[in-house]
Amino acid sequence: MAHRETNGSKLFITVLCMVAACSAVPINDLLDRASQRSDMLHSLSTTLTKDLSNHVPPVGWTMMPRPPLCHTSSLQTPNDKEQALQLSESDLMSLARSLLQAWQDPLVDLSNSANSLLHPSQSSISNKIRELQEHSKSLGDGLDILSGKMGPAAQAISSLPYRGSNDIGEDNISKLTNFHFLLSCFRRDSHKIDSFLKVLRCRAAKVQPEMC
Amino acid sequence: MSLPFLRTHCGTVGARMWRDLGLAVLVLLSAAVESNSTSPPGKPVLLSCRSPEKETFTCWWEPGSDGGLPTTYRLYYERERLEGVHECPDYWSAGSNSCFFNKTHTLIWVDYYLTVVASNALGNATSDIFKMDVMEIMKPNVPENVTLLVVETEDSPYLHIRWEHPRNTDTESGWVTIKYELRIKQEKNNKWKEYMSGTQSHFSLYSIAPGGVYTVQVRCKLDHGSWSEWTNSTNVKVPNYVQNERSFWILVATLSAIPFMAAMCILIVKRENVKQCVLPPVPGPKIRGVDFHLLMSGQSEDSTNALIINQNFPLIVGWKDQMEEYLIVTENDIGPPSDASHCQKRKKSLIIPAGFCSDWEIQCKSTHIQNDCAGGTKNETGNFPKNNKSLSGESLSYMEPSKLQKQQCLGQNFVNTEATDPSPLNYDNAVKPFTNSGYVDIRKHVENTQEVNVKQVDYSRVEDVNGDNVFILNNKNLAFNSSGYMDFQRQEEKLSEDYSRVKEVGSNNVVVLQIQDMSADTKNPHATGAHKMGVCTELINSEYIDTIPAPPLM
Repeated sequence: MAHRETNGSKLFITVLCMVAACSAVPINDLLDRASQRSDMLHSLSTTLTKDLSNHVPPVGWTMMPRPPLCHTSSLQTPNDKEQALQLSESDLMSLARSLLQAWQDPLVDLSNSANSLLHPSQSSISNKIRELQEHSKSLGDGLDILSGKMGPAAQAISSLPYRGSNDIGEDNISKLTNFHFLLSCFRRDSHKIDSFLKVLRCRAAKVQPEMC
Repeated sequence: MSLPFLRTHCGTVGARMWRDLGLAVLVLLSAAVESNSTSPPGKPVLLSCRSPEKETFTCWWEPGSDGGLPTTYRLYYERERLEGVHECPDYWSAGSNSCFFNKTHTLIWVDYYLTVVASNALGNATSDIFKMDVMEIMKPNVPENVTLLVVETEDSPYLHIRWEHPRNTDTESGWVTIKYELRIKQEKNNKWKEYMSGTQSHFSLYSIAPGGVYTVQVRCKLDHGSWSEWTNSTNVKVPNYVQNERSFWILVATLSAIPFMAAMCILIVKRENVKQCVLPPVPGPKIRGVDFHLLMSGQSEDSTNALIINQNFPLIVGWKDQMEEYLIVTENDIGPPSDASHCQKRKKSLIIPAGFCSDWEIQCKSTHIQNDCAGGTKNETGNFPKNNKSLSGESLSYMEPSKLQKQQCLGQNFVNTEATDPSPLNYDNAVKPFTNSGYVDIRKHVENTQEVNVKQVDYSRVEDVNGDNVFILNNKNLAFNSSGYMDFQRQEEKLSEDYSRVKEVGSNNVVVLQIQDMSADTKNPHATGAHKMGVCTELINSEYIDTIPAPPLM
């Protein structure tokens, strides 16, 4: 009697899993969508920095004093191809999610300061930042779903606190400079996220070489 | 004796002076010549850096003046997350005035700060700091092996273009994403048309012109970096064979057009026939036994007969309690000639019980049973007993006063198309043959509804009935004034004058009523004729729908 019951329940669970697996969107597809979204995010940030640097006087950076670091620089990320390819899928996903999460608040800051920016194309910059926020949010949601399918290791997020822009000066030049600096940090991090997700996508779609 | 000695001493000193002077001049000159040809080097300028595959990168600089002396150039760099200043690892792989960073020395997502120092025997010069990140300097090599192929299918040929990814780029790990773009130009045209190909390394161009020569170029980019250079042009010529087929089809089309045109001409010439055939005239509504056109022209009695007979109208029961039956009393006028014609026009129609009438129908008395106007009355005994019964004794056929003006409508033709007698005949004056119906209707000329509330009791007492259905009204016993006409004028004045007095009884089953009050009627009695316009309008909403428009008021 009990034996039959456990058999029955096992069968039921198996059927349920199969149904869930069949009806669920395959991971390949999800990864493809996520990388397309991250591609868009990176593309937007690139055009944004280009728009901005058209009118910002090039700041001559020197090594002394030490140039400021991005708030995400404390996160250990691969810096070349070999290092990146050695990471596991869960690590890649975790890194991508941590980076994305770290930019939620700063993007709000960027959006606020974009409204009062003194720049010839201020309105288009402001719009693009809002787009950035939207894409970032939807990518974050997608990655949450994906990481749920990949296991607990993929869901670990490193916290990268953002303390706000300490160096915001009162005059327009320093405002612009700081704005530009934040944006370039974001461009770098969005490129990281994009690259990691594309490596993931290629790995997941081994039978489809055109994905790579 | 000492003078000649002095003279020789002075000569020796002058010569020495001149010699020193010459030497000094010589030294100065040579020194001057030497200082024009050498100087410390000029400031070099770092031009650009480039990473073709996101794994290595190269930087180039432009030297300044070299100062006439052999000058060496050194590139130093500092890097984020790296202590100290380092020198370029490879000055030669990428050519002169360049520095090549191989994979071990290349890191992405970190900032490099580069400087070039030019130095010679006299000094050195340092360029400005060049800050870069590998992410920003990605520019791939050109794609390779662009091949064009004209694919011939049944429908139409198309151009298939293939190429390969640029050298050294890794397309298998997903580390870089290559996107391609191509541009195509026809030989005659000088304008390039650009197409995006995404990540595919092939492209198909449809709708190509046969006999044309096409030129194709391809380029690519990594992630969102810079575009590469265009490849060299590749040409292809599309063969001409397709035109033969096309001319064949043109011939076929032309040949088939001739009978088509002929058919069209025939159709146009015979369009009436075609119209008859294709769009037959729609038959109008038909009522069995009735000719619509005759009906419209208002001539035939038969049509109305048919109309009436074919409709099986139930008797209106509702009014039964109000009136049993009613007498038709016709009055013969002195002699308007129109009477006869009017009589001619009499139509048979149903007697509409109180409440049903149409405006103009008031003018035409109707009987329940068919009556031939012209031919006099037919004998019909059907309803007679009924009438008799009602007349027996005290029962007068009467109409309730309130219904009286409705009674005006009584006996109206509910369908009486022919009765649109335009002339405002005085209805009273119309001679109406007494029909063989059992209904006697007392016509009243109630002009408007003002008299509705007036309690009018109009009675006609039938005194005698003979076998020919002739009624004789006995006016003597009438309590009321025996004026049978309810003239509009009279109604207000005399209640008593609501009876019609029978003047005479004709031989044609006609009871002729007398107009009692001639004084009030000094005016043309005809004038009272046509007034029924508005009286019975309220009664029109019955099952018997009067479809004939009311005649105009006169």
